[in-house]
Amino acid sequence: MKFALFTGCVAKGATRELMLSTTKAAEGLGFEFVEMKAASCCGAGVVSEKSPLLADALNARSFSIAEKQNLDIVTICSTCQGTLKKTEAYLNESKEYKEKVNDILEEGGHQYNGKTKIKHFANILATEEGMARLKARIKKPLTGLKVAAFYGCYVLRPSERSDYENPDNPTEMEDIFAALGATPVYYPSRVKCCGFPIVMMNKDASLGMSGNALQDAIDNGADVIATGCPLCHLSLDSYQPEIELLQKKNQSIPILHLPQLVALALGYTPTQLGMDTHIVSTLKINQILSGSSASAH
Amino acid sequence: MIEHDVVIVGAGLAGMRCALEVCKELDVGVLTKVYPSRSHSGAAQGGIAASLGNSEPDSWEEHMYDTVKGGDFLNDQDAVEEYVKAAPRVIYELEHMGCVFSRTPEGKIAQRAFGGHSKPRACFSADRTGHAILHALHEQLMKNSKSVKIYNEWYMHSLVIDGDRCNGVVVSNIQTGEVEVIRAKAVVFATGGYGRVFKITSNAFAGTADGVMAAFEVGIPIEDPEFVQFHPSGLYRQGILFSEAARGEGGYLLNGKGERFMEAYAPSRMELAPRDIVARAEQSEMDAGRGVNGEDCIHLDLRHLGEARIMERLPQIRQLGIDFIGVDCITDPLPIQPTAHYSMGGIPVDKGCHVQLDSEGTRMNGFFAAGECACVSVHGGNRLGTNSLLDAVVFGERAGKSVLEYARGKDFGNVNEGQEKARVLKKFEDIFQRDGSESYNDIRNEMKEVMMTKCGVFRDEERLKACIETLKDLKVRFQKGKVTDKGKLFNTEIYEIIELGNMLGMASLIATAALRRQESRGGHFRTDFPKRDDDKFLHHSMVYGTPDGLEIKTKPVVITKYQPEERKY
Amino acid sequence: MATFRIKRFNPEKQPEPYFEEFQLDIPHGATLLDCMNEIKWKLDGSLSYRMSCRSAICGSCAVKANGHALLACQRQGEHLLQDDDTITLEPLGNMKPVKDLVVDFTPFWDKVNKIKPYLEPKEEPPEKERQQSPEQFRLIDDSSTCIMCGACYSDCNTLEVDDNFLGPAALAKAQRFVSDSRDSKTMQRVQDLSEPGGIWDCTHCAECVERCPKPARPFDRIKEIMTVALEKGVHNNNGARHALSFTNSVKRSGLLNENRIAPESVGIFNIPGLLGLIPIGLRMLLKGKIPPIFHKSIEEVDDVKRIFKELNQ
Repeated sequence: MKFALFTGCVAKGATRELMLSTTKAAEGLGFEFVEMKAASCCGAGVVSEKSPLLADALNARSFSIAEKQNLDIVTICSTCQGTLKKTEAYLNESKEYKEKVNDILEEGGHQYNGKTKIKHFANILATEEGMARLKARIKKPLTGLKVAAFYGCYVLRPSERSDYENPDNPTEMEDIFAALGATPVYYPSRVKCCGFPIVMMNKDASLGMSGNALQDAIDNGADVIATGCPLCHLSLDSYQPEIELLQKKNQSIPILHLPQLVALALGYTPTQLGMDTHIVSTLKINQILSGSSASAH
Repeated sequence: MIEHDVVIVGAGLAGMRCALEVCKELDVGVLTKVYPSRSHSGAAQGGIAASLGNSEPDSWEEHMYDTVKGGDFLNDQDAVEEYVKAAPRVIYELEHMGCVFSRTPEGKIAQRAFGGHSKPRACFSADRTGHAILHALHEQLMKNSKSVKIYNEWYMHSLVIDGDRCNGVVVSNIQTGEVEVIRAKAVVFATGGYGRVFKITSNAFAGTADGVMAAFEVGIPIEDPEFVQFHPSGLYRQGILFSEAARGEGGYLLNGKGERFMEAYAPSRMELAPRDIVARAEQSEMDAGRGVNGEDCIHLDLRHLGEARIMERLPQIRQLGIDFIGVDCITDPLPIQPTAHYSMGGIPVDKGCHVQLDSEGTRMNGFFAAGECACVSVHGGNRLGTNSLLDAVVFGERAGKSVLEYARGKDFGNVNEGQEKARVLKKFEDIFQRDGSESYNDIRNEMKEVMMTKCGVFRDEERLKACIETLKDLKVRFQKGKVTDKGKLFNTEIYEIIELGNMLGMASLIATAALRRQESRGGHFRTDFPKRDDDKFLHHSMVYGTPDGLEIKTKPVVITKYQPEERKY
Repeated sequence: MATFRIKRFNPEKQPEPYFEEFQLDIPHGATLLDCMNEIKWKLDGSLSYRMSCRSAICGSCAVKANGHALLACQRQGEHLLQDDDTITLEPLGNMKPVKDLVVDFTPFWDKVNKIKPYLEPKEEPPEKERQQSPEQFRLIDDSSTCIMCGACYSDCNTLEVDDNFLGPAALAKAQRFVSDSRDSKTMQRVQDLSEPGGIWDCTHCAECVERCPKPARPFDRIKEIMTVALEKGVHNNNGARHALSFTNSVKRSGLLNENRIAPESVGIFNIPGLLGLIPIGLRMLLKGKIPPIFHKSIEEVDDVKRIFKELNQ
C-alpha cells in the first residue's frame, strides 16, 4: 500500500513527534508513504477566510502533485483532511469552478482531474485490509490500556464529506483501539471541538471546550486520549496545564497521536515515538502497559 | 390589565403587514400562538401574484378577470379591482423592505406561470415565497420593536364586546398559563384558516379556526364557509404541500396508467387549470380506480424538467420528497392527493377590512379582519394560486389604514376585567372537570375523517346530512373528554382541546352551508347538483348562530366588470 | 416495538428533569413528530413540545434526538432507531428548558435582534423594484432559507462554553444583510460582527452545518462574513490578524510558520496579549516543541507565490 503523505504544517513544526511516529507506524505496517514535499499548507480553513478561491487553488495544486504520481493522498491531521475534502467537493460540484481553478494552476504545470482520493490515516487502518494488516503485525498488544478517541471536527462534519460511516456516532477509531488490544472508552465529547481554532481569539472559551472534553474522558475512565489531529493535540496536551477545570481537581491525562498509539503496539518504544516531548507526561501509559505485560507473563 | 392602542391577533403576513402600518402612529400589541416566523404564511411556496409584466406584458384587468373567473364569479368585483390594482405597489414595497426575490437576468423580480393565471404573474423566491415575505416583514417588526410588542405563544380566547363595539381580547400566556385581558381601541384578527378540520390537509397544526369561531361567538355571521379549497398536490397520506410551482414549471400529472389525464378535464390549460378543477380531476381518476396502484394517489412527474431546473427553481420540493417519503423527484414521480388547503370563506369584511354584522354592512366597531380568516370576498368560490399571499399583504395593509382612521384620537372602551377573565377561567375549569370517558384524539380523528369523506372534494345531500349528524354526536362526546395535564406551565394539551372545540363548531358551519348550497361552484361540488346555478345561488352564504341552531341568510355578490359566464379551461 | 426515552421536566411538580420511557410501534412512514403525537395523544397528554407546519418550514419542532438537534417533522421515526430499538429525545441544548421538550428561546431571539436583522437600504427606493442580478441574489439565497429553528444554536460548541457568542443562526442572518447588494451598512455590520462574541469566536466545529435542516449552513455563512470583513480592511482584532498572518505565512513559504502566528494574531504591539503567550511558549520550548527557528519553504514554493500573485493576494 503506497500513498502520497500530506504531512501538514504542524507535524513538521510544533508536533514533530507526529511525523516521527507516522514514519514508524508506516514502517511497522509496511505502508509506503511518499512525502509530498512540494505540497503547500492546506489552509486549515483559515486561508479560505481570506480567499476561498486561493485556498482551493493551493489544494488543487497539491492534489495534482499526487495525481502525477498516481497515488492517493493520506493525511495525518483531521484539519488537513477536512479542508482538503472541502476543496475536493467544491471542485467536483461545479465543472465551471474546476476549470477556473485549473486555469490558475496551468502555468505551474498542474491540473486537477479528480482521480486522487484523500484519506485520513485512521480511515486507511479502518478498512478490512488495514485492520488485517494491523492485527497481523501487532507485537505488543495494548492490553489494559483504556483509550478514549478524540476525532477532530473536520473529519466528521459536514457528514457528506466524511469517510466515517456514521459521523455522529463513529466507531472506527475505537475499532482500531480494540484491534491494538486496548480497551476503547466511549464518551460524548469524543466528537466535539477541542477549541483550538479560537485559542487566539477567545482563550477562555477555547480552554473551556478542551477542559470539558478532557474531564469527560477522565470521568469515563480513560487512561489516555488518542487523537487524529495535531491541532486537537496542541489544545488537549500543550494547553492542559492552563485548564482550570483540571487544575482544581489536580487531574491530568496524557494525549497521544493516533500513529503513536499504533506504533506502540507495533513494538516501538515511547522514546522512538517522541512521547517524551509531550507537555503532559505519558509515563502513566508505560506503567499501565508494563504492568499488564508483567501480569500477563 | 394590559393595554395597547391596537391589538392584532396573528403574526403571519396579514397581521405583521397590518402592524407595520399601525405602528407608524399608534402603539401595537401583536399576539401569536406560535412565533411570527412560525406562522403558516411561511409555508406558501410558489409565489405572490401581481401584474408587473416582468416577463410578458400583463395588466390588472387580466389579473382581475383571471381571479373572477377562477372564483367562479362569486367574487365581489369592486374589492377584486382594488386588490389587483394594489398588487404591483405592495410587491415593490416588500422588495424595498428587503424581501428576497428570485430575479430575471436584467435584475427584475422574476415571475412564473401559475394555475388559472393567463400570464406569468407569480413573483417568487425560489419555492419559498411565503417564507421570504414572512421573514422580511418580521425583520421590519424587529426594526420597529419600540412601537410593536410581540406576545409570542399567547392564545386568544375571546373578544371583549360592549354593544356594537369591540374593546379588546381575553388571552392567555401559553408558557405560564396566566389569563389576561388586553384592552384595545381596536382589535384586528389575522388568525388564518381552518384546514385542520379535514383529515388530509396542508395546514399547520395551528390552523384551527380560533379567530373565526371567536367572532362567530360574539354574533358575527360567517360568510361562505362551504368554500374550502382542496389543493391538487398534497403529499400522499401526509397532506403537506408540493407547490403548484411544480406544475407552473412544467410538471405533469399522471394517473395509474401513466396518462396525463388533465387532457380529459381541462384540455387547454392541462395541469395549470385552477386548483378546484385539478383536484376534482384527480379525485375522479382515483374514484374510478385509476389511482396509482389503485390507491388514492396520483403521480406528479417532474423528471423531464431535469436536475438543473429542479435544483434552481424547486429545491425545497425536492428535499421534502426525499425527507418525507424518500422519493427524489429528479429520478421518480411524487405520489400526491388532494389536500384541504385554503378557506375562501371567513369573517365577513368590507374592502376596508371592517367586520360586518350582517348582509347590509352594519359594522362591529373597532373590529377588523384580514387574510385567510376574513372573507372580502376577493376569491369567490375558489382562490387562484399566489393570490393568497397577495390577499394577506394588500388587506393587511388596508386593515392597518382603517384601524388608524378608527382608533386615532379614540378613548379606550369599558372593560370589566374580572368578568372577562372569569369567563375564560371557567372554560378551563369546565374542561378539567369533565368525566373523562372519551378520548379527544378519537373525537378529533373522527371529525377529520367525516369531513374528508362526506364534506370533501365531492359532496351530496346524503353525505352532508350524515356528516352533520356525526358532528352533533361528536360535540356531545367532546363534553366528556379525558384530560391528563391539569398544570399551568406550557400545557399544550389544554390548548389542543380548546382548538378541537373550535374546529367542531367550524366543521358544522362548513357542512351546513354546503348542504344548503344546492349547486356546484368553485371549490364546492355537489354530485347531486353538478352544475352552477346562478339563478338560485349567485350569492354569498351568511351563517348565523341562533338559539335554535345555525341559520343561513344570503348576501348579494358585487358584479361590476365581468358578467358570469361558463367557466371553461 | 420501539422505546422512546423522553427527558421530562415539569418544575411545577419536580425540580429535576428525568427520563421516562414510552413503548410505541412506529407506524410505517411516520415522522418523528408523528411518533411524538402518537405518544401525546394516546399515552400521555401531558407531554409538551412545540410543533406547527409538519413540513420543515416553520421551525417549531426542533428537538434533540439521540443527542443531536433536528426537526422532528423532517425525519422518519424508523431512521432514528438506535441498535437497541430506542430513540432518546431531549430538549434543545444551550437554552433553558421550560417544560419537557420546550425551551426558552429568549436569548436566541435577543441575539438575532442584536445583528440589526433588517435591510438598511442605500437610497430612497425607486418607483419599482431595486435591481438585483441573479448572481447577487445567489449570495443571499442560502442564508435566506434559515427558519430560525434553533437547531444550530442548540449544538453549537462555542455556545456551550460562552453565552456571549452570537451563535450560528444570528450570524447566518447577519450574512443575509452583509452580502445583500441593496444594503448600505456593510462596513458597519462587519465591524460590529468582528467584535468579541462575533464571527471570530466561531470554533469551526461545523455542528451548525450538520444540524441545519435547510441550506442555510451557518458556518459557511460565517466564513463569508469573514472574507468580507478582511476585504473591507477590518483587521484590528485577533481573528483577522490570525487569518492574515496565516495566509502571509503560506505565501512566503507554502507552509504555516507557527512561531509567528501567535504573536502576530494577538498583535505585535499588544503587550498583555503577548505576555499571555509566554507560559505556553515556555512549556513548549522546554519540551523541544518549538517549531524550527529557521522556517523552511516547501519545494517549488515559487509556484505557490505565483498563484498568490495571480489572485492578487
